[in-house]
Amino acid sequence: MIFFNAKAKHKVKESTQTKRVIAFSLHRKNAWLLWLCQCLNIAVIALELSTWLLAIISVLLAWQAFLLHNNKKQASIKAVHQNHQLRKHLDNQLQNQQNKPFTTHVSSILLTVFAVLGCIVIAIKANQVGILASMVHLLCFSYVLKAFELKNRRDFYQLFLLGLFVLASALIFRQNLTSSLITLALLIINLAVLLQLFTPVRSFFTHIKVIIMLLAQSVLLAVVLFLVFPRLSPFWQVPLTQSAETGLSDRVKPGDIANLSRSSALAFRADFGQQAVPPYSQLYWRAMVLENFDGKQWTRNKLTAKNKRVLAVNSIDTSVTALSYQITVEPSFQRYLFTLAPAISDQENKTVISHDDYTVSSEKTITQAKSYQLTSYLSAPLTFALSKENRLANLYYPQGSNPKLEQLALQLQHNYPNVQARAQAVLARINTQSFSYTLQPPLLINNSLDQFFFETQAGFCVHYASAFTFIMRASGIPARLVTGYLGGEYNGTNNILGSTGQWSSQGHLSIYQYDAHAWSEIWVAGKGWLRIDPTSAVDPQRINSGWSRQLLQEQSLLNQELFSLYQLKNIAWLNTLRLQFDALDYQWTRWVIGFTRKQQTDVFKRWFGHRASWKTALILTLSLLVSVAIILFSIDFFNRPKRATVPLKKWQLWYQKALTLLANYGLEKPAAMTVTDFTQQVQAHYPRLAIAFSRLSASYNRLCYQSLSTSEQAELLLVMQQQYHDFVHLVKSDNHKAS
Amino acid sequence: MPQISSVINQVQASQHAITAMLTALESIILGKPKACRLALACLLAQGHLLIEDLPGMGKTTLAHALAATLGLRYQRTQFTNDLLPADIVGFSIFDKETKRFKLHKGPIFNQVVLADEINRASPKTQSALLEAMAEHQVSIDGITYELPEPFFVIATQNPLFHAGTYPLPESQLDRFMMRLSLGFPDINAEKKMLLNATERTQQTPSGDNAERAVIITEQALRVMQNVVTQIHVSNEVIDYIIALSHVSRRAYTQQGSQQSDLEINCKPLSPRASKALLQAAKAMAFIDSRDYVLPDDVQAVFYAVCQHRLEIHPNQQLARSSTNNNSLANQVLNSVDVINPLFY
Repeated sequence: MIFFNAKAKHKVKESTQTKRVIAFSLHRKNAWLLWLCQCLNIAVIALELSTWLLAIISVLLAWQAFLLHNNKKQASIKAVHQNHQLRKHLDNQLQNQQNKPFTTHVSSILLTVFAVLGCIVIAIKANQVGILASMVHLLCFSYVLKAFELKNRRDFYQLFLLGLFVLASALIFRQNLTSSLITLALLIINLAVLLQLFTPVRSFFTHIKVIIMLLAQSVLLAVVLFLVFPRLSPFWQVPLTQSAETGLSDRVKPGDIANLSRSSALAFRADFGQQAVPPYSQLYWRAMVLENFDGKQWTRNKLTAKNKRVLAVNSIDTSVTALSYQITVEPSFQRYLFTLAPAISDQENKTVISHDDYTVSSEKTITQAKSYQLTSYLSAPLTFALSKENRLANLYYPQGSNPKLEQLALQLQHNYPNVQARAQAVLARINTQSFSYTLQPPLLINNSLDQFFFETQAGFCVHYASAFTFIMRASGIPARLVTGYLGGEYNGTNNILGSTGQWSSQGHLSIYQYDAHAWSEIWVAGKGWLRIDPTSAVDPQRINSGWSRQLLQEQSLLNQELFSLYQLKNIAWLNTLRLQFDALDYQWTRWVIGFTRKQQTDVFKRWFGHRASWKTALILTLSLLVSVAIILFSIDFFNRPKRATVPLKKWQLWYQKALTLLANYGLEKPAAMTVTDFTQQVQAHYPRLAIAFSRLSASYNRLCYQSLSTSEQAELLLVMQQQYHDFVHLVKSDNHKAS
Repeated sequence: MPQISSVINQVQASQHAITAMLTALESIILGKPKACRLALACLLAQGHLLIEDLPGMGKTTLAHALAATLGLRYQRTQFTNDLLPADIVGFSIFDKETKRFKLHKGPIFNQVVLADEINRASPKTQSALLEAMAEHQVSIDGITYELPEPFFVIATQNPLFHAGTYPLPESQLDRFMMRLSLGFPDINAEKKMLLNATERTQQTPSGDNAERAVIITEQALRVMQNVVTQIHVSNEVIDYIIALSHVSRRAYTQQGSQQSDLEINCKPLSPRASKALLQAAKAMAFIDSRDYVLPDDVQAVFYAVCQHRLEIHPNQQLARSSTNNNSLANQVLNSVDVINPLFY
């Protein structure tokens, strides 16, 4: 048991005057609840913490659990009033509690040493993990350590507040719907534990109910603050923690994307609004173009990556059908964005940069959900121009790295002089030979494409795209590897309205990490860059509608998850549920997380018109003041003791009014003073009023306390009324004289 | 209607006797009119009286005067630490002639029992009074004997910090309707008293003048006691009494809790206490020749009726006097609104 006795003891020693001393303590059950609450809070942020700190924290938590367990026999002592007889006894007991070896109080020296050591370690590691992460480390470390020195109420409050901080800092890293809900749930539990401490009699679930009620009541304020509170940019740089970097990498080896495809995490979402969603096979989400090949891996060409395209509109034939859509990216801690090439980004948006190779990227690392507007011209060709350097870069391959493929390329070059026919021939070869598409490609020695193409003949998209691009380059056609995502899952309704064939779609496209894909582009004179996806030759279903059954099965086998994607997609209601949640999550991302400063000002503009910033400020201040006033008023109203409203009788009313008059005069009746005693007071202070007032008082006493018949009462009432008026008159004339 | 008028008539009819009684008492206990009124009220309300003060303050004199002026059969018993229960209630003795057990009645079979220095006797002896006080009956050798009516116990005691005293058990304390303490007389009263004393010793050296001063006969006392019970008590006064006892209970249960709004460290008042308070207040109204109770009556008797029931430790307040502003009784009184008693 944790005993908050230090203060209590102090009091006993200090003042013998104090008759009762409160020993503040935690019930055993509460202590365990607190511990559990701590564990949960830490668990929320655990992914952001380094392994070594997690180890320290779990050791500390286990230690505390051990101490709690050992304190089982020490019965809890609630708040005790100490009488004279009891005091000595209790004093002894307090001392005994202190002397017992097992309390969660660890000696303060040990604790200090531990804390200092921990801080030193955190400081040393700060360079590695970054300033924010080390601050979070410090927070969590102190949160766990604080539980060892719960001596009085103040310590408990501190611990509780630290817990709230831990929860809040978890939100820095993840803001999606799931983690927000988890944080909310934990907030409720934390608050319920706080409540439990003060009313241990009621059950924990009652507390949870109460807390939920209270939170529901505070929703209005939260909404107002959400809309009104200025969006400050964070003062810190969100660092790249281990869990951070997700999605595609800018260096790709064969076999890389297959690993990514095991993840069913969300990559981004696309909202086409009312327009029809293009067919699956058109949804080639372009992320990066990899032009440099060193024989093992593909990397970006730094020159092209740096080139910003100032005006994209000129280079795209805008006569074809435009398709505009909004993309909301999940935090990937990288900078590339997704587009259906060729596309023009929203002109206003300065944070989205377009590049020469039709990719777009963000100005800053994407640390939280970001959305941007794009307009694509799907059927428009990519650029016709190819500079000399680009041509050379896209033809380069290390000579002799894959001799067999080079030989094949030469042969093809001889057989098919037409560029497109040559590419077709390679696809045909892939299609006819026994190539297979699998998530578990056999390991290649030294990433040899030769080995893949002629021996194993099993691979994922990168294998095919790499081999194809290599053959193209070796046969003299400029070619490059493009990575990105293919397809996406449509979530929503998609109807054709009537006979006009107009689309009405309500929903969005979710693109998951397992949709990651790689394909090739070859340059054909007069046609520009043409997209060629060698995967279509080996697994056409992947291109046309998504993963095949066999792939899904493979994935579920690889992941060994309880609810793998394969199972999810097979069970209809679970799948619906998943889709529903996804839709909800999208709305959350779009409206809550996506509510940036720009949206905020937009909202204000819409409400209050342009340029009237002072008006906005005024209205905001007023509404804040009003809401605070309402809250304060209602708090006061609910906390006011409920008084029975018994209607006052006539004589009571008169007497009260007479008292008010006297009070204005400067003589107030103490509540505990009797009516008769008060007349004497009046006599002493205001002899002029005394006679009238004592008559009034006597009548009051009789009406109030004597047993009277109705006729007597009526008579006396009349008398008292007269007396009351006399008294009022007297007071007024007296006032008049005085003035 | 006739009933109401008859009560006020009876009250007024008794007024002469009451005044005479008070005058007689005040002439014996000089300068203590309040104490005399309270003592009389206690007897009229059929309650037992405990008089506590330092030795030589006139406790026994007051007790004697009360018993004597009422014209009741009384006997004084000096309590000592070797006093046995049988010495009070009596015992059966074997009569050789009749060859039967014969009851030898103790002093308790008087109408007024003067238990002098009650707290010098052992608790065992003190508790012998218990049954007698509550039930007006005693049991000797398994046979229950009714006590004469009216029956009063007037006890005196020394403050507890004095040598050789046992504290009265709380149960017994609660059975005394009032506890009075006389306090030192003022200068004039003491001077008068000293002068009187010299006169009196000159006139009647024996000091046995009590029997001459019978003012209220036994019959008249019974009538008065009956009238007191008929005094009207309005709802407001009942509320006031309830509020007073409730405050003491709330203060008691909230002791030690943080949210305590009452800083009174007292024992709770029992329902018997509120009953006693009501009775005493009625008697006070009667003495004031009213046929209805005012909150003033409740306040007048509150200290005497409740202070000894509120004190957690006997002799908590050593320098006690009936006008102690800081007493527990006053603290309780001050936390109740007279006009709207239940709105606290």
